[in-house]
Amino acid sequence: MLEVHNVSRSFAERLVLDDVNFTVPRGALTGFVGANGAGKTTTMRIIMGLLQASSGAVSLDGKPLESGTRPHFGYMPEERGLYPKQPIIDQLVYLGQLHSLSRSDARRRAMELLARFGLDDRAKSKLESLSLGNQQRVQVAAALLHEPAVLILDEPFSGLDPLAVDAMSSILRDYASRGVPVLFSSHQLDLLDVLVDHLVIIQDGRILANASAETLRSSQATRHKLSLGADAGWLREEPGVEVIDISGSRALVNFQTESDSQRVLREALSLGTVTEFAIHRPALADIYREIIK
Amino acid sequence: MNAATAPWLIVALREVETKLKDKAFVLSTLGTLALIIGAVAVNGFLGGKSADYSVAAADPLSYQVLTEAQDQRPENMNLAISQLNPEQARAQLASQDIDAMLSSSADQRTMTLTGFDEVDAPLERVVSAAMRTVLTDQLLSARGLDASALPTADDLHTAQLQGDSERGSMIRAMAFIFSFLFYMAALIFGMPIANSVIEEKQNRVVEILASTVSLRQLLAGKIIGNVILAMVQLLLFLGVGLLAAYLAPGEIPFLGVVSTVAGWFVVFFLGGFLLLAGIWAALGALATRTEDLQQSSGPVIGALVAVMFIGIYAKGGFLVLASYIPIVSSVAMPIRMLSGNVALWEPLLSLAVLLAACWAVLLFSERIYRRAVMHTGGALTLRKALKLEL
Repeated sequence: MLEVHNVSRSFAERLVLDDVNFTVPRGALTGFVGANGAGKTTTMRIIMGLLQASSGAVSLDGKPLESGTRPHFGYMPEERGLYPKQPIIDQLVYLGQLHSLSRSDARRRAMELLARFGLDDRAKSKLESLSLGNQQRVQVAAALLHEPAVLILDEPFSGLDPLAVDAMSSILRDYASRGVPVLFSSHQLDLLDVLVDHLVIIQDGRILANASAETLRSSQATRHKLSLGADAGWLREEPGVEVIDISGSRALVNFQTESDSQRVLREALSLGTVTEFAIHRPALADIYREIIK
Repeated sequence: MNAATAPWLIVALREVETKLKDKAFVLSTLGTLALIIGAVAVNGFLGGKSADYSVAAADPLSYQVLTEAQDQRPENMNLAISQLNPEQARAQLASQDIDAMLSSSADQRTMTLTGFDEVDAPLERVVSAAMRTVLTDQLLSARGLDASALPTADDLHTAQLQGDSERGSMIRAMAFIFSFLFYMAALIFGMPIANSVIEEKQNRVVEILASTVSLRQLLAGKIIGNVILAMVQLLLFLGVGLLAAYLAPGEIPFLGVVSTVAGWFVVFFLGGFLLLAGIWAALGALATRTEDLQQSSGPVIGALVAVMFIGIYAKGGFLVLASYIPIVSSVAMPIRMLSGNVALWEPLLSLAVLLAACWAVLLFSERIYRRAVMHTGGALTLRKALKLEL
C-alpha cells in the first residue's frame, strides 16, 4: 500500500498542497480527481521524488521513501515524455537500461510490450510518426518496461479514442489485479464509474475524499428515483419526503423512513402507473460534484 | 553490458551512440580527415616533389660532369648516370629509355645537353653548375691551383637578431590549427549538450529520467559522452595529421616540438571543453525551446570567436596573460609552448587554474540544471533559476 502522509508543499509562499493524506491500496485501481490546479500533478511528482515535500512523507508498505529517485516505480508524466525524433525501440531499450535491465532484457521486454499493444511492426519507426493514441501506448510501455512495483499515471486517458481507452483500462486492471498499487488522475469522470475501486478527490490542495468507490456510493445511496405515468408534482406535498428534483413525471427524492417509501409507492400506484421505483445509486461523477460543492 | 552498469555510463554511451548514428557527423569527420591528409600530402608534395632523371654521357668528360652533378643535385632529385658511345646514347634517347644525353664539343669547352623533346629546367641547372665546377677545376689545376682552397658559398654563416622566421611561421600555422580545432569542437560537441538538455526538458522526458536516475548522473553522462566524442575526434585529427606529416616525402620542420605541444594541447583542450560543457548544459536548462538557445548562446559563441582570434593573433604580454585565463588558456598556452622558451611550471600552473575554474563552473551548472530542468513555463534567467526550489 502506498501512503501519502501529511504532505504539504508551497511554491514561492503559495501553499499548493495542504496536509494531503491518502492511500493507494494494492489490488485496486485508485482514481485521483480534482479540477485543474487542484494539486494532482504536484502530488504525483512528490510521490515520484521529482519534487520535495515541504513537510510530510510518502511511504510504501509502511516504509518511508527516501527523497530522490524511484527506479522501481512506473511513471507517466502529464505532458508525456519521450524523444519524438528517435526510433521507438531505441528509446525503450535506453529507458529499460536506466531501470537496471540489461540491454538484451530491455529489448526483449520492450518487444513484448509493443507486441501486446500491436505495435511490434512499428518498433523501428520514429515516435513522432505514430498516431497520438499509439504514442500514448508507447508511453505506457515505457512505464511498464521494468515490471514496476507501483504505477503512477498522470492523465493516462487524455486524448485517447474509445478503443484505446478500453485497451488502457484493461492494462491498468491487469496490473492492479497483480497487486500493484495503481494511481491515475483523470478528468473523464464517466470513466471513473467503470474503472476505479478507490477514489481520492482533491480540491485547492486539500483532500476531500479518500475512500473505496463502494463506500462512497453507499454513503450517498439514500435516494430513490421514481417514474410515474403522470405529473409527479404531488410528491412535494407528501410528508416524510424530501424532493431533490422533479421534472415532469420523474422525480428524485429522499425518504425519511423505509415505511415512508412504501406508503408513497402505494399512493403512486393508486394514482396511476409506476414505471420505475428504485434506489438511486449515484455515479461517482455525481458524488464528485456533490463533494466539491 | 550487465545490469549493474552505472547510469551515467549508460547515458554517456547513448550520447556517443546517437552521435555515431548521425550521418552528417560521420561524414563531416571523415571529410575533415581527408582534408587533413590532403593538406599534409600537398604540402609534402610541393615542398619535396622528387624528380627522377636518367642521363647518359657520350664521352669521358661528360661523364665526369654528370658525376659532379650527382654530388650537387638537390635532395629532391634522383639522377641515374651511365656512359655510352654517342650512337648508343642517341638511340636510347630516341626510344626514351633515358631523359637526356650529355656530350662535349671537340675543344672540350662547351657541352650539349640533348633531351627527347625538352630538357627540364632543374636538370639543366644541375648539369650547368656541375659543368662550370668541372671546367673551372680543370683550368685551375692546369695553372697549379687547388680548387678546394677557393672560398665557397658555405663559408657564409647566418644568424638572426630576433627569433627564427621559420619557427615563427610554424607557430603561426599551429596557432591557427589549435584555435580552429578548439572553436570547432566547442561548437560541434558543446551545442548538442545544450540541445539535448532542451529536448529532454521540452518533451518532459526528463521527468521520466529523473524519477529513475539522479539528475546529477544524467548531467554527468551527457557531458562525459560529449567529452569522449570531442576527445576522440581531436585525437583522430591530431594523430592522423602528425602521422601524415611523418610519412610525407620531404622533411617537415619542427615535427618533434609540434608533437610534444600537441600532447599538451589535448590536456588543455579537455579542461577547456569540460568548462564549456558545463556552461552549455546550464544554458540548455534555462531555455524552454531550441529558439531560446539562439539568444542565450550568443555571448558564448562570441567568447569562442574571441578565443579563436586571440589564439591566432595575440602576441607578447597579451598572449602570456591569455595563457592563464581559463578557456583562452586552452589555446594560448600550447601556442606559447611552441616557441620552446616556456618553463614547465607555467603550463602546470595554467592547468591548475583551468581545472579549478572547471570544477567551480561544473558545480554551479549542476545547481542550475537541477533547478531549471524540471521547470515548466517560460525561459528562465540565471537569477530566477537559482531561486527555484527543488
